[in-house]
Amino acid sequence: MKVFNVFTAFFLILLLATASSCGQKSTITQVNRDIIFAIGQAPLNLDPRYATDAASERVNRLIYQSLVDFDTQSKPIPSLATWVTISPTEYRFTLKRNCAPFHHVPNSVQTFLTAHDVKATYDSFTIIKDSPHAAEFDNIKNIIVTDGRTVVFHLKQPDSHFPAKLIIGILPAKLIAMDQDFSHAPVGNGPLKLVAWRNQLNLVRVSDGQKISLLEVKDPTVRVLKLLHGEADVLQGELPPELVKYLQTKPDVIVKTNRGANFSYLGLNMQDPVLKNLKVRQAIAHAIDRDAIIQKVMVANTRVASAILPPEHYTNQHPLPIYEYKPALAKQLLLEAGIKLPLKLVYKTSTDAQRVRFATIMQAQMLLAGIDLEIRSLDWGTFFEDVKQGNFQLYGLTWVGIKTPEIYDKAFGSNSIPPNGFNRGRYADSELDQLLLDENWQAATARIHSQLPYIPLWYEGQFAAMRKEIHNFSPKPDGNWDDLATISRYAH
Amino acid sequence: MIRRFTGFCIVIFGVLLLTFLLIHLVPGDPVEVMLGESASLADRAVLRDDLGLNQPIIYQFGHYLNKLAHADFGQSIHTKTPIIELIKTRYPATLKLAFLSLLIGLSIGIPMGIYAALKAGKWQDLIVTLVSVRLSAMPAFWLGPMLMLIFAVWLGWVPVSGMESNASIILPALTLGFGLSAILTRMTRTSLLEVLSDDYIRTARAKGLTESNVIVRHALRAALLPIITIVGLQMGSLLAGTVITETIFSWDGIGRLLVESIEKRDYPVTQACVLVVALSYVLVNLLTDMLYRLADPRVKFAH
Repeated sequence: MKVFNVFTAFFLILLLATASSCGQKSTITQVNRDIIFAIGQAPLNLDPRYATDAASERVNRLIYQSLVDFDTQSKPIPSLATWVTISPTEYRFTLKRNCAPFHHVPNSVQTFLTAHDVKATYDSFTIIKDSPHAAEFDNIKNIIVTDGRTVVFHLKQPDSHFPAKLIIGILPAKLIAMDQDFSHAPVGNGPLKLVAWRNQLNLVRVSDGQKISLLEVKDPTVRVLKLLHGEADVLQGELPPELVKYLQTKPDVIVKTNRGANFSYLGLNMQDPVLKNLKVRQAIAHAIDRDAIIQKVMVANTRVASAILPPEHYTNQHPLPIYEYKPALAKQLLLEAGIKLPLKLVYKTSTDAQRVRFATIMQAQMLLAGIDLEIRSLDWGTFFEDVKQGNFQLYGLTWVGIKTPEIYDKAFGSNSIPPNGFNRGRYADSELDQLLLDENWQAATARIHSQLPYIPLWYEGQFAAMRKEIHNFSPKPDGNWDDLATISRYAH
Repeated sequence: MIRRFTGFCIVIFGVLLLTFLLIHLVPGDPVEVMLGESASLADRAVLRDDLGLNQPIIYQFGHYLNKLAHADFGQSIHTKTPIIELIKTRYPATLKLAFLSLLIGLSIGIPMGIYAALKAGKWQDLIVTLVSVRLSAMPAFWLGPMLMLIFAVWLGWVPVSGMESNASIILPALTLGFGLSAILTRMTRTSLLEVLSDDYIRTARAKGLTESNVIVRHALRAALLPIITIVGLQMGSLLAGTVITETIFSWDGIGRLLVESIEKRDYPVTQACVLVVALSYVLVNLLTDMLYRLADPRVKFAH
């Protein structure tokens, strides 16, 4: 039995060693002095010329500043600079006098942002060949610096929305010339500065030195556990509603909600022989009980949607009617379209649990309208590839952070069919093309609403949960993290 | 040894060729991943040319092998990080987790297996069997959050997840180690029971050797071969990265990197990860073969 005893002793030693490591509470406490923001997906790239994922764009808004930003109606407003339209192809931007300096880089002199930095940032799009944003700036003919604060953009073609495109964070010209790796060592002049990026993203607020760490925790349940245990101070979005409700019952946690502006929809393949028929599309729109879904399985402040841009958007002055849940009418429309019931359709979605749940509910609702919906849940890469290739009948996605009405052209214009744009449903409508060309956004929105290349679903409500000692943070309609510039912790 | 090394090289070449071909056969275009959907056809053509994607596939494979020979895995499409840097940071994390899990698995599994074998047919054996069956039936996605809830949230002994402190490794290692210990308990019990009924064990006992001597010097050594096989296979899986455990515990290992790269269609990262995983498997197998020879000299003679 000595053998057994030796093994037992060894295991006990291991357990004791484990327990002694557990005693290192000081390490955990040390980490928690920062404000820890638990996020579902870490940023991929902190170079604003390359970043496309939501997390990177949200962090880049805090590290860098851009020439232009948007107001609550999504109208472009001056941020770093004011502008004047000299001619349809000529815009002059003048930097404000009180621009913050670029973050200090060790072994170099701190510099203030000038017109040369603006020129260098936008000129660099002509040099780098693999930027996903480069196409946005193909229309720039040249950029002229007239003095330290003024820069003039000359365009090849008139573009009335050009200022709204200048939302790329400005980089220091000197570092661009030195081929700085902004992806991992960003230097901007925003309210937060990057300190380190290993397992988590460590930022520091320039104004008062408050440390803020962004910690990637993929699993929603684990994010909640970390918040309850005090290993995270704030989390925002990406939780199933039952976990949000659970957090609302916890005395140490505050949950704040806000209306959302990100548009969820069902995309339709307009080249599909069945879905080409408008009556079929109308039937699908009337076969979904959005109100019931919102009430039962979504967070507070979720709104039924009727267009990509929300009602508060400056182009959306006249609200559009909502497609109400009328399964009998839906069935009638299908019969009028000459469809033999049940109509079999395939719906593709990602493997995200909440998306699959929506799909399952819609499947049950549609059955009452005579639609037999088959759900195919695919890994994100395969799903998105299928959507881009047009390999679908129906799919579900969300447009995030959309501000300009040009989205209608990119998503529905007949010249935007892949590989030339986002018109993944291959919708071609000359009447809509003309309205888009005339920039008659109201009529274009109404046309899209009546023709239903998308079935509008909802703008999902935004929420943030935080420890009760956290203040000055609330969720924003597009889900941005701008309040990290003001967030603070108070002892109770 | 030369034969083994030749086999090793052939396997690695096969893996390289297969991953290269598979990556080029799956739907998706690296140029589109880089430039997005709004890029012009002209921009795409320029980038495609720059990346050498217009070249014949044989030429591309040769170019890939040449870069690998210079330890150049390329860079991530999305993060622009050199892939060698990603591997350097992720693989040690997986190694650390794998070895600690193995240690826990061995520390629990082998003593429990021996104990069950010695008490075969008695109530102690039944309890050990029940516990090991229960442990092997608990998936990581359930056991992990349960351990978090008990040891992190309720007792507050360890962090819930992450890699910020030394104690962070305990829960993921226990999650993996418990599963492994269940397999090892069953295997050790079965293997030892077979050996304990052999004549030479009876002879050893008749010679008046102590029970511990009989178990350690005679029975356990002979029972080790199937256990080494299982440990080798399990270690290979652990080194390949245990995606679910790494994801639940926010452990930045190679398995998580591989799955994320597949999701994001980050082809160069996927290729590099598959290569590292394959190398791990092959090396662990090689090591297992060497351990066979140490445990049982007859294996050496057979060769």
